[in-house]
Amino acid sequence: MTMHKRFNLAGQIPLITLVALCVFTALLTPRFLSPLNLTNILVQSSIMAVIAIGMTFVIIGGGFDLSVGSTVALAGCVAAMVMVKFGIAAGVLAGVATGAAVGLANGLIIASLGVNPFITTLGTMVLVRGLVFLVTGGAPVGDDGMPAAFIAFGSGRFLGIHYLVWVPAILLVVLSWVMHATPYGRRIYATGGNREAAYLSGVPVERIVASTYVWCGALAGVAGVMLAARLQSGQPTAGEFYELTAIAAVVLGGAALHGGEGLLYKSIIGVFIMIVLGNSLNLLNVDSYWQRVAIGAVIIAAAAADRLRSGR
Amino acid sequence: MAAAAASARGIFKHFGATHALSSVDFDAMPGEIHALVGENGAGKSTLVRIFGGVHRADRGEISLDGSPCRFGSPHDAIVAGIVTIPQELRLVPALSIAENLTLDGPPVRRLLGLSVIDRNAMRDRAREALAQLDFAPDPDTRVDRLSFAERQLVAIAKALRRRCRLLILDEPTAALESREIERLFAVLGRMKQQGVAIVYVSHRLDEVVALADRCTVLRDGRVAAHRERGAFAVADLVQAMTGRAETGVAIDTPVAGDVTLEDTGERPDAIRLRANEVLGLAGLLGSGADRVLRRLFGLETAGNDVRTRAGVVRLAHPTDAIRAGIGMVPGERRLGLVMNLSVRDNILLPNLDALTRGGRIDRAAGDRLVTGLMELLDIRPRDASLRAASLSGGNQQKVILAKWLARNVAVLLLDEPTQGVDVAAKAQIHALVRDFAKRGGAVLLSSSDLAELTRVCDSICTLHRGHVTARLDRTAGFDEARLHAAIGG
Repeated sequence: MTMHKRFNLAGQIPLITLVALCVFTALLTPRFLSPLNLTNILVQSSIMAVIAIGMTFVIIGGGFDLSVGSTVALAGCVAAMVMVKFGIAAGVLAGVATGAAVGLANGLIIASLGVNPFITTLGTMVLVRGLVFLVTGGAPVGDDGMPAAFIAFGSGRFLGIHYLVWVPAILLVVLSWVMHATPYGRRIYATGGNREAAYLSGVPVERIVASTYVWCGALAGVAGVMLAARLQSGQPTAGEFYELTAIAAVVLGGAALHGGEGLLYKSIIGVFIMIVLGNSLNLLNVDSYWQRVAIGAVIIAAAAADRLRSGR
Repeated sequence: MAAAAASARGIFKHFGATHALSSVDFDAMPGEIHALVGENGAGKSTLVRIFGGVHRADRGEISLDGSPCRFGSPHDAIVAGIVTIPQELRLVPALSIAENLTLDGPPVRRLLGLSVIDRNAMRDRAREALAQLDFAPDPDTRVDRLSFAERQLVAIAKALRRRCRLLILDEPTAALESREIERLFAVLGRMKQQGVAIVYVSHRLDEVVALADRCTVLRDGRVAAHRERGAFAVADLVQAMTGRAETGVAIDTPVAGDVTLEDTGERPDAIRLRANEVLGLAGLLGSGADRVLRRLFGLETAGNDVRTRAGVVRLAHPTDAIRAGIGMVPGERRLGLVMNLSVRDNILLPNLDALTRGGRIDRAAGDRLVTGLMELLDIRPRDASLRAASLSGGNQQKVILAKWLARNVAVLLLDEPTQGVDVAAKAQIHALVRDFAKRGGAVLLSSSDLAELTRVCDSICTLHRGHVTARLDRTAGFDEARLHAAIGG
């Protein structure tokens, strides 16, 4: 029983960290709690949250994806270019499909050929970024003719909350249900927890692993579309280092890097920790070089916490 | 009386609320083999780890050659001459035998003013160390090319390169076949003559009776019995371990029913399994018994055609076998369970499709199924939300069985189902297997423990180098001598 209680307390560490961070910053600077700043945090978190949800799928399934940042840029640029010619629906669809295609390629290489996920997605990260520059010629695309309704999506609100924030909120509810109430979701946990045992229990592990990368790619596509709406264009340099922030957020949220453990909502808490930390350092006028040092230290601390927990 | 090589006096140790050891005394005299037995969770491993410097006792004293000592780390214990050979051997798989044996300080020579490893001296040292154990492999062989038994000998040789006054072996024979066990026993006999004190932890009581000079039985963290050689027998030890007398499995020779599973093609290891039947597979390592099970569960890449009651089925993937009503309990528990998932999730894993209504898992139906099975199989503790990793070996094995019983499989393929399982759980698993067969199931049971096979099976097939060499029936009586001859042991 004692173990049970301790486990539950350890499970709340991400939330406790986030609350402590907010309280600390609010005490130091009243600007933190201003409606403008809080809205800012929510909107900044929304795009990263969508990526982190996809990353959580991959990490629970026992994998890893470094290519999401490049995928965000490619999907955003493809969406912007298609949208200018064929309208919003076609553009959004093309962006998400582009992301899913990158994810499918990752998934097939990793699950069927058995190539290490780190190396595979390191490769696609570079390769996809190259494609972005090839497609766009290195300049922003669609900045002159994006549909007005799409730009409105990037800045408008529904029930007082930004459209951009609604996207991860809805995804979180639906996909948490998928993870917990459907056989597919349980099989992802089983595959990540012990691939061989899952295989011997009749789980089609290759398809499950590949599918997690498709989710991750497709959601990076969604994030790319959201970013294009916010920037009112497709930016070829967008999304750099997003993969690192997303992975750090997922680990901060308590997902195990060896797979089989993690919860979508906790990864979102991890995203908030990362974004609030950056915001807090900005408000406190911390030098931007020092900000990088601090964020790097947080990532290492999160990984160390993961080690301590699994070594328990 | 000579001082004990190592002794523990009044040892107490608790983990959280669990008292792992209470007031335990234990001695190991130079030149004796002292067996330590007990059910899982009785405290054997904790005691052994206190000697090995892994845990520190809450109270009590450890002394070596009569002088008290304290170990702050496993390293302190090794320096003091206490060597533990664990079940998982600590060798570097990608290095050679010689490199492993000299890992702590390889011999060096000078070359152009630099210290370089003297490979010839290294090989000679390795040969020398292994010759003591009557083992003469090529010292350049990579350790991952060796069998488990050979790796174990390398680990022992490595241990003996240091001054060793106390050698602790934790379940050393769990993965060995009978010839290798004999070789290990010969090695232990020789070390005993050299005056080494040996602590032998084992579940196999017949070995303990054959080998040990003394035996200490732990139960619930206390010494339940202490016997001198000649004064202990298997039944006596079981009673001391469990607190009750050993009960056999009731076998009411059933009439074998229809053929449930049979190979279609001609092959030397063809199997025919009938309903109501427990068929044993006996063979040494490399006899192909494990391959028969793998084949029938669709794990051999070529695929395999079998006839089931529903017709001919090609088994090329576990899902094919599962669909055909076959379940497998693999030889290693880590292959049977997702340790960080709950007992509930593990039991439901092969049964998710059957429990899905309109895309979602019917939680209530799943809970009913799990609760019923935990009751039926007596899985303890009765908490389906616990992680599989927190259960004892015997209960983990029952969870793996529950996965397949939940599916109402027609055939169970069992690979060493009671390895590393305590006596009480072993008897329960045997009873469950018999009960499954009685209710119309067919069981194929592969085991390196002949006593287990003769106890549970209706018939036993012996395998030698991939060929079925004999088939013996219970009705004609199992002749152990013939069994031994047929498996080539």
